[in-house]
Amino acid sequence: MYEGPIQELIDELSRLPGIGPKSAQRLAFWLVKAPADDAKRLARAIVEAKERIAFCRECGNVAEGDLCRICRDPGRDVTTLCVVEEPKDAATIEKAGVVKGRYHILGGAISPLDGVGPEDLRVQELLDRVARDHVIEVILATNPNLEGNATAMYVAAMLTPFGVRVTRLASGLPVGGDLEYADEVTLSQALEGRREM
Amino acid sequence: MRLAWVELREFRNHAFTRINPVPNGLIVAVGPNGEGKTNLLEGMFFVFALASPRVSANAPVVRDGGDAAYARGEVETLGGRMLVEVEIPNRGASRVKLNRNPVRRKRDVRRQVRGVFFGPDDLDIVRGDASRRRRFLDEALVALWPLKETLLTTYDRVVRQRNRLLREWEGRGEPPALEAWDGELAQAGAAVMRARRDVVAAVAPSASEEFVALAGYALETTYGPNVGAVGGELEEAIRERLRERRADELARRTCLVGPHRDDVELAVRDLGARAFASHGEAWAAALCLRLGLAKAVEREIGEPPVLLVDDPFSALDPRRRDLVAERLARRGGQVVVSVADEADVPEAAHATWDVQAGRVAPRTGA
Ligand SMILES: [Zn+2]
Repeated sequence: MYEGPIQELIDELSRLPGIGPKSAQRLAFWLVKAPADDAKRLARAIVEAKERIAFCRECGNVAEGDLCRICRDPGRDVTTLCVVEEPKDAATIEKAGVVKGRYHILGGAISPLDGVGPEDLRVQELLDRVARDHVIEVILATNPNLEGNATAMYVAAMLTPFGVRVTRLASGLPVGGDLEYADEVTLSQALEGRREM
Repeated sequence: MRLAWVELREFRNHAFTRINPVPNGLIVAVGPNGEGKTNLLEGMFFVFALASPRVSANAPVVRDGGDAAYARGEVETLGGRMLVEVEIPNRGASRVKLNRNPVRRKRDVRRQVRGVFFGPDDLDIVRGDASRRRRFLDEALVALWPLKETLLTTYDRVVRQRNRLLREWEGRGEPPALEAWDGELAQAGAAVMRARRDVVAAVAPSASEEFVALAGYALETTYGPNVGAVGGELEEAIRERLRERRADELARRTCLVGPHRDDVELAVRDLGARAFASHGEAWAAALCLRLGLAKAVEREIGEPPVLLVDDPFSALDPRRRDLVAERLARRGGQVVVSVADEADVPEAAHATWDVQAGRVAPRTGA
């Protein structure tokens, strides 16, 4: 335990995801010893990101403003939604350039061990969009692992009353892995070969 | 498959042990109990399985006062020479290298080199509760088909997820998304059950063959899955059973259906099926299950795995002891057996090692 500002810094850092008390201590001392400019640049980047970046009110992706770039684009099909766990997954799929519709970010996957239930995800927002925009197809592109599959099954069940076509990425993706590890070719094949749930 | 050399450092009571086993036949490590025979076999097993057959934690393996234990060895296989190096720290995960390259997934080593271990604790496979038999099936699965270990880890995670969901649910009715976890449990559970059925089909005939040679009658090993599918699909059968047990599961807040509740039935068949009559008979059954596994692995990969047999003779009568020794010497491949008593060193041994105070000395002329 330290006193004053250094302990405050350690406390703040240890609140970050994946940072334990030991790492927080290491980071804090690194920052204190680093040149003043480095520390200021980091502080500025955090403040600026916090001020300028918001979340798209439609899809939940990061956005500069009210809507993200894709939701602002009138050329993107509103009747196809590609559901992913995190913004980075949307970015990966977008790079492969195979989804002509829009995205919906759930904000994670169901995992009781991590205390994440369906109520912690943006599922209701998805159902609202499906109803409002007369969505025809929902592609469930959650990660090809246990939690991603369970989430896809749950969302598919919630979508049943809407009578939309619900599909899941075809196998061929690295099983148990994350979407971000799939290359573009594999990803577009998985999308082309998607199957009904 | 054979171990060209093995080296243990700071491994239990072996400060430094390096030996070159004879390439083929029966090697007997002899020495009083507590001098390091079992530790030697355990260290050799580390080179194949990257884990101890006796304990799941690392710390007991590290010599008193040390930070890490080391097990290294070079294995000659039909697929080439494999240099396996394992650093086993007191705390944290082991570090593994294969042919000097770091290995991230243990299965990348386990699919290249195979060893089978028998030890006195294996008596629990026969005499212990069902969890010990399930563990045997899973150890056998990894020994036979290392890549299928992911089936076990996936299923284990499904059960932990679903148990947590059931345990923490305070509301009325059932927790949201329970159905989704039912689907995962059915899928992952069915995969484990099919794999275990294949394990029993591969091991049981060879185990019985070994047992017949010792006892004159058969050993029956029957897989007892928690959910049976008569004709239908296993996934659907599991889902059906989950629906039946729904109220129970919600009341008891735990998964009551699935392969984590499997068992294996073991019996001998002389006139009719019956349980094991004596300690020696149960011991022989446990030994034969491991020997049967080794045979099954041999059929799978086309060469015998290295067989490490810790103290097999002490619970056997002299007639069975001689039979076992003779069969071990004749089975082909490298077989290392430990015995406490000089009188138990079989005549059929091709080489003898004296083990004392954590040191191993090959006997010359033996
Ligand atoms: Zn958006």
